[in-house]
Amino acid sequence: MKRIGLLIIPAVFFLFLSEPVSGVERFPPPDFESGYELPQTTYAPARRGVYEYIDVAVLLCALSLSSYLVLVKRDRRAIFVLTVFSLLYFGFWRKGCVCAIGATQNIVLAFFDNSYAVPFAVVLFFLLPLVFTLFFGRTFCAAVCPLGAIQDLVVLKPTAVPLWLESALRLLAYLYLGIAVLLAATGSAFIICRYDPFVSFFRLTGNLNILIAGGCLLVIGVFIGRPYCRFLCPYGVILRQLSRVSQWRVKITPDECINCRLCEDSCPFGAINKSTADWPRRDYNKSKTRLAILIILLPVLAVSGAFATAATSGWLSRAHPTVRLADRIYLEQSGNVKDTTDASLAFRGTGKPIDQLYAQAANIQDKTGFGSLVLGAFMGLLVGLKLIKHSVRRHRTDYEADRAGCLACGRCFQYCPREHVRLKKIKEAIQGNK
Amino acid sequence: MSKIREESFVDSASAGAAYQAALWSAVVSGVFSAIVLVLLVVNYLQIKVLDPLRAERLEMMKVKFIGEPLSEDMLFDIRRLDLEIRRDKIRRQFFSRRGGYLLLGGLVVCVAGLKLASVLGRRPPQPAAPDDKQARQMREAAMARWAVTAGLGLLSVAALIVAFNPQINITEITAPAYPSEEQINNNWAGFRGPAGAGISAYENIPTKWDGKTGDGILWKSKVPLRGHNSPVVWAGRVFLSGATSKKRQVFCFDALSGELLWTADVAGTAAGGTKAVDIMDDTGYAAPTVATDGRRVYAIFANGDLGCFDFDGKSIWTKSLGVPDSTYGYASSLAMYRNLLLIQYDQGMAEEVKSRMIAIDGYSGRIVWEVRRPVAGSWASPIVAKVGEKHQLITCSDPWITGYNPATGEELWKALCGGADMAPSPVYAGGFVFAVSPYDHIVAIRPDGRGDVTDTHISWSAEDSIPDICSPVSNGKVIFLLHTAGTLTCYQCADGKILWEKELDTSFNASPSLVGDKIYLLSTKGVMFIARIGAEYEEIARCELGEKVHASAAFANGRIYIRGTKNLYCIGTANE
Repeated sequence: MKRIGLLIIPAVFFLFLSEPVSGVERFPPPDFESGYELPQTTYAPARRGVYEYIDVAVLLCALSLSSYLVLVKRDRRAIFVLTVFSLLYFGFWRKGCVCAIGATQNIVLAFFDNSYAVPFAVVLFFLLPLVFTLFFGRTFCAAVCPLGAIQDLVVLKPTAVPLWLESALRLLAYLYLGIAVLLAATGSAFIICRYDPFVSFFRLTGNLNILIAGGCLLVIGVFIGRPYCRFLCPYGVILRQLSRVSQWRVKITPDECINCRLCEDSCPFGAINKSTADWPRRDYNKSKTRLAILIILLPVLAVSGAFATAATSGWLSRAHPTVRLADRIYLEQSGNVKDTTDASLAFRGTGKPIDQLYAQAANIQDKTGFGSLVLGAFMGLLVGLKLIKHSVRRHRTDYEADRAGCLACGRCFQYCPREHVRLKKIKEAIQGNK
Repeated sequence: MSKIREESFVDSASAGAAYQAALWSAVVSGVFSAIVLVLLVVNYLQIKVLDPLRAERLEMMKVKFIGEPLSEDMLFDIRRLDLEIRRDKIRRQFFSRRGGYLLLGGLVVCVAGLKLASVLGRRPPQPAAPDDKQARQMREAAMARWAVTAGLGLLSVAALIVAFNPQINITEITAPAYPSEEQINNNWAGFRGPAGAGISAYENIPTKWDGKTGDGILWKSKVPLRGHNSPVVWAGRVFLSGATSKKRQVFCFDALSGELLWTADVAGTAAGGTKAVDIMDDTGYAAPTVATDGRRVYAIFANGDLGCFDFDGKSIWTKSLGVPDSTYGYASSLAMYRNLLLIQYDQGMAEEVKSRMIAIDGYSGRIVWEVRRPVAGSWASPIVAKVGEKHQLITCSDPWITGYNPATGEELWKALCGGADMAPSPVYAGGFVFAVSPYDHIVAIRPDGRGDVTDTHISWSAEDSIPDICSPVSNGKVIFLLHTAGTLTCYQCADGKILWEKELDTSFNASPSLVGDKIYLLSTKGVMFIARIGAEYEEIARCELGEKVHASAAFANGRIYIRGTKNLYCIGTANE
């Protein structure tokens, strides 16, 4: 009976959802001879400014609550509920905008372009998660970020990603952040927003390619926990660094680790560091030599990276519409193409001098060229530092959440026997009080 | 510890029913979502594949209908298909929207079911046997180093692929987007050459030829259609246009051999091509001289049809400006400023404000700017002259002589001194804009003013021997006026004093030209009068073409191109 009841509920739900399908679409036939007048174009009114601050207030509350639930209550269920709320509010209700991840670009652009006024709410959306991370770890990722939330909900059959693969794939996030900052700094494009894989779901519309990419990420996310957060999220890169030095952070065990290893496979995001042993003496000496070589190689890697990326500056600069337009106009002027595009037609309709367009594009190319050098040096340096990181001996006696990688989802809590002791004590204390 | 573990996780047997229900809910909703997804994909394919095909069919039917305007059946079919397309489009948009909600709902139930099932079916953790920590750590570190290095390698390969992809480096573009001033000055890109001044950039121009004997005539080619427009010469090509009441064509001749390289039709447009144009025979259907920017050639005709062709005769665009309301027939030649084609489209009465100055982007045919002009119809051509460091577009009309910014159409100055039936084009020389009102007066205007400069910037005006058709020519010190009846008058630029006059006893339609210190005057009988500029008229030569001429001559390096009523002539020596 209970089973039948449980089956009826979704059946009724589907019936309700299917109702619109039966609706007959009616479209009045046009009557050209009746003096039909086209209706005036109307525009949706702009969102009232006060809502921005409501969003900020909701963000602040969600961050506070998330931090409390993760660090004090250690309650996975409550974290899950907050995750669902964040998905509904910041995702489906606010349609994924404004978000802290994309706000990075606004801040960068405001930094490099004095004429760009970044809204205060956007600044807060960028800063608040950083501040909270600095104090409490990645509680924003845990239950506030809508992009993280939608991925978190589809984690069904998580598979461990080997450390080597994780380490290599994470380079993508740094590269993505670097390119996003470069393109935002030159005013070229906000690629984080343009290629937001989940915004099409939140808005139930969007570019088909992005929709497919988002769908693929969610399907992958069934088996590999939060692939976007771990391997692509540019904001996550910043949060990782802040989380390393955060004042308080997630601990698997509420008091002491008894090395029971029960939590070993509990994290779907591979963010639990196992206890370690000392390296063999021979390997230790070898690693010291390797470390020395890598430190010497750091500037070489940075310079090589700078040169390699500088060669791509022309391609990167094409992200800027002015450069693309100048390219197109040049192709048209030089007879390499015979037709026009909407953009080139519109430009030609303005009567602006083509030489001026070329000059603007050249200026952007120059800026992008310099930015590419910096980006390349950054990537080279990053690879060097990563190699150094993997050459340094780590000593851990306990199982602990990775300082940078832990998304503070709280899944590991219930795997720890000490947590159950704690909960039992709390329960007993409550009963005793009664 | 095992007790704790057992308490911590839900026993799958005890929660079997709930587990089954959650799982089946997930399966049912998953199937439902898959069906909705398939329908959405089909709907999407219909939008992307089927609808464009139907839209294309509709466009073809519309084009066909223009040729058969009386076909009621076709009109009915067009309306029916149009209705179908619009109805289906809205239906599919609606389906996409609703389908999206259905899919989302299905997926939510599916994920919730799976999530619940996974919680209910969760088993206690069973850690594998402890491994060798030392070995593991060393192995993981080594593999991570290799992986990061491999990542670096992949990024480098990606960078190389991108770097070797052909890219345009805008910073290295040195070719100007439009002809340089040097190119314009070395060619004859429009009516009366550079700045419409009628001055040759070359001094090695022949002074002796005879059309009857062929002496000095390099070649002579028949022009397929009639037209009073003058030759335009650019980089070894000579361009002309010709038209009848039904046909409009542009011709390109090889400047070296005279071979007709191509003939291009300006297809009649719906606005201009189907209406009859009432014009004077003396004006003809192709009075305006074509213009070129060295990349394309542009032509306008009496019915307002405009055509653009590349140097191979391929049509780039055509356009109709509407049939002009012109008493004698439209005759203003085209002018160029950078990439802009400038059209003085004067018509009707001044109070009707039907006249326009239009700038069209040469490449695309798009109107860049357009200004209404409170002037009557005129037959003069606009000129683009460099005044100081900036260019000005100068027009002569009734009653305003006006200077514009050619880039934007902004009116810079205007002077109320134009007379009726303005035909001579203005010239800019010696710091003055000279504008001639037929049979009435000539004015010298300083073009450095702003707004209405009638009372402030007209330096002098004169009323003696004022021509009616021919445009003046000036070297900055003196200005020559040539009357149709054959009176050549030399004025002093600075003060408008007449220096001398000469009766040539023949008629002229072509405007005079200057070559170094010589003036070239081409009579309607085809006789070129060549005289030295001096204190008085000092004739050097008279050269007969042997054919009537209405158009002005074009000058190139060592050559003159003259359009007779039937033939195009190239005068010069073979070794030039």
